[in-house]
Amino acid sequence: MSAKSSVDTAACGQVVLHAEGVGKGYKLYDSPRERLKALVTGRACHRSHWALADVSFELHRGQCMGLIGDNGAGKSTLLKLVAGTLQPTTGTISRNGRVTAILELGAGFHPEFSGRENLYFAGALIGISEREMAALEASIIDFAELEHAIDRPVKTYSSGMVVRLAFALVTAVEPDVLIIDEALAVGDQHFQKKCIERIANFRSMGCTILFCSHSLYHIQQLCDVALWLDGGRPRAFGPTERVLASYEAHVRSLDGPGDTGEQGDGGAAEPASASQTPTSADRRAGISEVVVAGLEASPPVGEVPVLEGNDLAVTVTAYVNADEQPSIGVMLEQLNGVGITSVTTHADGAAPVRLADGRWRATVTFPDLPLHTGDYVVSAYLFDSRGIVVYEEWQDCVRFRFVYPTKTPGLVRLPHRWS
Amino acid sequence: MRALYQDCLALWRARSLLWMMARREIAARHAGSAAGMAWAYIQPMLTVAAYYLVFDVVFAMRLGENAPTRAVGAFLIVGALPWMAFCDAISRGMSSLIDSGGVLQKNPLPPVLFPARAVLASMAIHLPLIALVAIAYFPMHHFSVAVLALPLLFLAQLLLCGVLAYLLAILAAAVRDTLQVVTFFISVGIFLSPVLFPVTMFPEAWRWALWINPMSSLVMGYQSVLLSGIWPGAGVWGGIAVWLGVGAWVLDRLIARSRETLVDWL
Repeated sequence: MSAKSSVDTAACGQVVLHAEGVGKGYKLYDSPRERLKALVTGRACHRSHWALADVSFELHRGQCMGLIGDNGAGKSTLLKLVAGTLQPTTGTISRNGRVTAILELGAGFHPEFSGRENLYFAGALIGISEREMAALEASIIDFAELEHAIDRPVKTYSSGMVVRLAFALVTAVEPDVLIIDEALAVGDQHFQKKCIERIANFRSMGCTILFCSHSLYHIQQLCDVALWLDGGRPRAFGPTERVLASYEAHVRSLDGPGDTGEQGDGGAAEPASASQTPTSADRRAGISEVVVAGLEASPPVGEVPVLEGNDLAVTVTAYVNADEQPSIGVMLEQLNGVGITSVTTHADGAAPVRLADGRWRATVTFPDLPLHTGDYVVSAYLFDSRGIVVYEEWQDCVRFRFVYPTKTPGLVRLPHRWS
Repeated sequence: MRALYQDCLALWRARSLLWMMARREIAARHAGSAAGMAWAYIQPMLTVAAYYLVFDVVFAMRLGENAPTRAVGAFLIVGALPWMAFCDAISRGMSSLIDSGGVLQKNPLPPVLFPARAVLASMAIHLPLIALVAIAYFPMHHFSVAVLALPLLFLAQLLLCGVLAYLLAILAAAVRDTLQVVTFFISVGIFLSPVLFPVTMFPEAWRWALWINPMSSLVMGYQSVLLSGIWPGAGVWGGIAVWLGVGAWVLDRLIARSRETLVDWL
């Protein structure tokens, strides 16, 4: 189902990354003059800003750690410390083996030189010698799909081409530790999928991954353990699900109770179903329609349509240009954004069916919807067949009101038994 | 001197990378221009020609009895080439760290690589010009062994440029004013050196001021080898040693104090 391997087996492996009490303090000087004084006299005349303090963890071979936290929590600082571009102020980091960091792609390229010349030079910067590069060159160019442009100066490349070349280069040699900073958003969907496949492949070969993303979905799919940083300090560290759950609770508390999200003002009537035809030609995959069966046909203005009947059936139609079977996901939430459940075809072993026009369709039915009275939101997701690449997500695309004819408070009617 | 020693060690370990970076730097300096590498040589030659025009033709300067040569043109060329190599190495080396901030923040590389690369590239570009002058003058001094001092002088200049460029690069990272001050010094420094006129033409009372310029003793060394065919005197080697020693000591202190935060300043 996912690229996740068992934590237990991974934990037996050799320790490849060990951080002990790591902290990074930035020295803030009031003016460059103060900085000069410190340099000349060797005396301290700065204020310290601790971007990171007291972080300790240990990663074994093949483990994947997700790094989560709000903006400015110190995630990027930690990644740079592990990558070795920054020196820790306190503590030690020991690495075992080759460390590759996908931080900012293409930073070392010179615009006047051709892609090929840049490969050799940027390769030398990350420790690939000329001889090794001669052997790797063809596969890098092939992966980046730049056969025709490789001898042109890099300044003539589109930004996507630069990033493709850079990604192909840094991942050309299999690392022991891979550091990824939000790099899954590389290039178009087609290339993104290749990148993720390559990373997943490293993973299965036993590469240790340190992964920072705001996409909690990806963290959950890829990572065995997660570290939640808050204001530069570790707030929680442990199995992904546990850390994510407490982080999500924290995010909700920040959003504030009663806030129903961006569209929660109820000003305009929400459509009972949403649909869209693919307009831009370069879109390779997307959702074209989400329909909830049995909704009140014409609800009063400003009201959410009522679900007539006891079953909830959501039908998602999507298109994928590549010749692959996608996975379709549906999430059910309360109107104020509290998740209730989410289901995907790949997790349930179900498969969308192919329509005559080549699109894919899946219908999920929740028989005798076990909810209490309230307003609910349906979101739809389109994934690749393994559920790793998110092709498209339609957040909050259909809203409905469910009426359960008893007045007892609650959210979900759980199976229960009195005795 | 531990900090400096560690950096030297890092430089030695990354020597193949350094060599590649220097080669690429040479190619990059004139990439995209039509004349390409030729610019590296057109500029110094035209500058020497301009000095010749002003000092020999317009001012009709004569070098005096104690000068190493009578030919003003030869005198200017021998002094100006090492001086221009020095200026090029220092100004490029000084801004090397600031210019490569992006690369340093993304790749775990020792910062010393970047000033070293700039200095190496500048000196490599000027080496053929100095060698050419040496070949032209070698026969005039009856194939004196003094020419063997030339590689030593060149090596000393490479070291001195490396130390000063790295030192200034760290200072420039900390306070950008360094760039202004040094650029000014480079533009007037030629008047505080025996490049345009022999030391003997300098008033005795002011001669100490020549030692402010780190290149003075080196220029005198080149002149004595190439113009007189004499092994440079102890004063020349002493001057170089003092500048190298002081420079290395200051550099060591700066590296030790900035090591942890240098990349943050870029």
